[in-house]
Amino acid sequence: MSGGTLAIETLGLTKVFGKQKAVNGVDLAVPRGSVFGFLGPNGSGKTTTIRMLLGLAAASSGEIRLLDGAMPKDARSVLPRVGALVEGPAIYPFLSGRANLQRFDAADRHTSPATRNARVDAALERVGLSHAAKKRAHAYSLGMKQRLGIANALLAPRDLLILDEPTNGLDPQGTREVRSLIRSLSDDGTTIFVSSHLLAEVEQMCDRIAVMSAGQLVAQGTLDELRSAGTARVRVATPDFADAHRVLSGLGLTPEPHGRDDVITAELSVPGLLPETVNAALVRADVRVRGFEASGASLEDRFVALTGEGFDVAG
Amino acid sequence: MLSEVTVLFRRLCTWAMIGALALIPILIAVVVRVSSDGSASGRGPAFLNSITENGLFVSLTALTVAIPLFLPLTIGVVAGDTIAGEANLGTLRYLLVAPAGRIRLLLVKYAGAALFCFVATLTVVITGAIIGALLFPVGPVTLLSGDTVGVGGYFGRLLLLALYVTVSLMGLSAIGLFISTLTTIPVGAMAATAALAAVAQILGALPQLEWLHPWLFTNYWLGFADFLRQPIVWSSFIDNAVLQAGYIAVFGTLAYGRFSTKDILS
Amino acid sequence: MNKNWRWLPAGIVPVVIVAAAVSGSAVADAQPQLPAKTAQELLEFVATSSDDAYSGTVEQSSDLGLPDIGMATPPGGTSSSDPTSMALELLTGDHTAQVYVDGPDKARVQVLDQLAQRDVVVNDTDAWYYDSQSNEATHAVLPDKDAAKAELEAKLQQKAAEYPELQNVPRTPAELTQTFLARIDPSTEVAVDGTSRVAGRSAYQLLLTPEDPATLIGSIAVSVDAETGVPLSVTVQAKGQDDPAFTAGFSAVDFSTPDAGIFDFTPPAGATVTEAPTADEARATLEAEGTPAEAPEKPTVIGEDWSTIVELPATSAGQLGLNLGDGEAAGMGEIMEIKPGMDPEEVAGAQALLQQALTEVDGGKALQTSLVSVLVTDDGRILAGAVGVDVLVAAAQQ
Ligand SMILES: Nc1ncnc2c1ncn2[C@@H]1O[C@H](COP(=O)(O)OP(=O)(O)OP(=O)(O)O)[C@@H](O)[C@H]1O
Ligand SMILES: [Mg+2]
Repeated sequence: MSGGTLAIETLGLTKVFGKQKAVNGVDLAVPRGSVFGFLGPNGSGKTTTIRMLLGLAAASSGEIRLLDGAMPKDARSVLPRVGALVEGPAIYPFLSGRANLQRFDAADRHTSPATRNARVDAALERVGLSHAAKKRAHAYSLGMKQRLGIANALLAPRDLLILDEPTNGLDPQGTREVRSLIRSLSDDGTTIFVSSHLLAEVEQMCDRIAVMSAGQLVAQGTLDELRSAGTARVRVATPDFADAHRVLSGLGLTPEPHGRDDVITAELSVPGLLPETVNAALVRADVRVRGFEASGASLEDRFVALTGEGFDVAG
Repeated sequence: MLSEVTVLFRRLCTWAMIGALALIPILIAVVVRVSSDGSASGRGPAFLNSITENGLFVSLTALTVAIPLFLPLTIGVVAGDTIAGEANLGTLRYLLVAPAGRIRLLLVKYAGAALFCFVATLTVVITGAIIGALLFPVGPVTLLSGDTVGVGGYFGRLLLLALYVTVSLMGLSAIGLFISTLTTIPVGAMAATAALAAVAQILGALPQLEWLHPWLFTNYWLGFADFLRQPIVWSSFIDNAVLQAGYIAVFGTLAYGRFSTKDILS
Repeated sequence: MNKNWRWLPAGIVPVVIVAAAVSGSAVADAQPQLPAKTAQELLEFVATSSDDAYSGTVEQSSDLGLPDIGMATPPGGTSSSDPTSMALELLTGDHTAQVYVDGPDKARVQVLDQLAQRDVVVNDTDAWYYDSQSNEATHAVLPDKDAAKAELEAKLQQKAAEYPELQNVPRTPAELTQTFLARIDPSTEVAVDGTSRVAGRSAYQLLLTPEDPATLIGSIAVSVDAETGVPLSVTVQAKGQDDPAFTAGFSAVDFSTPDAGIFDFTPPAGATVTEAPTADEARATLEAEGTPAEAPEKPTVIGEDWSTIVELPATSAGQLGLNLGDGEAAGMGEIMEIKPGMDPEEVAGAQALLQQALTEVDGGKALQTSLVSVLVTDDGRILAGAVGVDVLVAAAQQ
């Protein structure tokens, strides 16, 4: 009973498929009220972890506490308070969108049938599916199905939402909607655990993240903690490519060409070297600077560093 | 449960099967009607020869024809689809996180299959009576014992027959439910269930396996005729119920063992 | 995480079922404690039971070492009213019958076939036979209450050729017992062989062991209900065979008077009704045809008691559809009379089996079962008895 401060807590969570350890000794700590990003390359074990959290798969070893209940032992009392989207939506193609939601709502014996229609309509409204509610679900587009899946997670007021790649297949409006939806739910006090491939999205939504790689948790903490673990970089747009390259090298940096002959970037790998010093040096050397940008460590770089190459990120 | 029923009966597939079952008595009645001039040779399914005299016998002929093949086939489809179908759609995981509860889901799924058995049997029987009444004269029905019951009493017995056949199919449904928990491919579970029904009937036809017969879930399938005797013989109904209960217990607990320990990975 | 206990029920249930099945039969095997009775007392007790009223389910099964005729007929669909195959089927098959008895004059036996039924109803002087499959009813008037039984026996023998259906009815255990008790001779050992439970009732076991070396019958065990004296089961053991050759017994029995309506039989509309002539009429008909000389009417009885042989006269084989020609190898058509309307496949199947079962012997063809032998001589006589074929052959040559 480690207090009421953690919505999700795992200890040495492990899942073995045959010989492969799909999840290996994961210790997650998701504080209540946080928006928690769960990152990792394809096949790193995110969905498998989520399945174990929800009691769909049994852990090979390790412990899970969800909303202060042990999983899967207390599933009956815990799961009604958890909304979930796991590995994409699943629908009955022969039922309408509304009937699909009614079916899933009825599966939970704690929900009240009296308020069912109202709650289903509210959930549909929230994901912008009201107009397509009567349509058979097999005629739904990918994004519409995804919205239906999110609506399913929102059928009842939840303490915890576990969303596995919620913006998958959504159009830009949909993505934005989901983002603002998550923010508003978070404002209401709901803890949100969201796995994603979209780093930019995670950066915008989440206050905490964890990174999985090959079944292991390689980093966990607030966004800033993760960022500060990385290094800042400068980006210089200039017609004098060769001169700029020389100046940066002279400062002890390793400039990286960007495939274009008018942009050059470099990591501020020299301790104590500030971006403004770099700019002054360029100007002193008569390098014509068209644009200068200094940025903190990007999450993307941090990931590549943590998870190795081959992290195939969209966007 | 209600939700399960609506889902089951909103499927096109379910209605297609019920329609196919309804077609059996219609086909029999029409064929007999069209060729009713020829003298019956004493061949063909039981009760066939009585149809021209009394249309109500269409129900019985159709039931006799449907029991060995068509009913097990449709029950195989419904029972094999119970868990595997949800797993295949992926909806199983959402039902379980709802949370539906694994035991409750099994029970509801089984009840749904049982209801389908009853509706399917009733479809055959009632369609048979209706089409028989339309195409042939109807009147008091001669029972196997040579006694005669009126139309009202006959319908009472038809209802009992439907009950008997439903009970007969409960064991197969339990087997289908268990097989359905083994796989995420519903077609496989359906085929395996229907195939088992066929195998059991083949074994039941081999006199060398006499000792095995009382243990086969198909053993009393044609015993429904005991409700067409005067006085009604209940022993086969009771034996059948006990046998089917045994199958339900064995395969129900197997299904429970399997489903409650299964990782839902679809 | 050990979730294996969830498989526990699946392991326990089959064990429980097997245990229940085993203990169920163990209970049935347990021998009840009953006041001792001598064999003579038991025989008298049986004799007092003929007035009793009861009903129940009788299971009959036989293992005569014959090829199973059931294989040749499709399940649930034989429509053969052909006497030969029906007799064979009743001889070799297993049957369940509902039996209703109210004293010596009212009885109804319903042979429960799959999707069909055969009924014999005896109500005072009326006897009905009804077959649901062919929808045919046969009616016979029994001349006189007391003589009815003896008369019926004789008539059945006599008219076997004409109305074999009447003979094809499995008897109640009581009737069977009567038949066997009638054969008791001084050489027969009659003993009380402990007690048993039949159909949930306590019963005495009466054991008849013929000493006669010629008979095939090893022993006959009769279970006699301890309360009423009604025979509940009969088991016939053939010599040199471990499994009983024939058993008939109640699997359930109820000693309350059956509803009187059960013994009222009216043939259903649309049924073919045949009136069986009374014995006198039959005799009269035959005499009118002027054939008394060439048809020795009565079957001849050779020997006595357990090794009794019944010889049917020369015309019988033909009438039964067993026509063997002049000692030549019998073709299919000759073995069995093919009637119009019979399923050709069925006929072929039954004939093949019949031919398989018949063996060539000196002066005819014989059918040997573990309990009964039948000899069809080349000149068309039929000899049958619970003796070996050699005894029949010897009898035929006298
Ligand atoms: N049913 C299964 N049987 C065997 N191995 C599996 C199974 N499901 C997943 N795995 C393996 O487990 C590992 C983790 O898979 P998982 O689905 O958790 O990855 P993920 O992080 O969700 O990937 P993605 O980003 O593509 O969704 C993978 O290597 C996968 O091959
Ligand atoms: Mg995944």
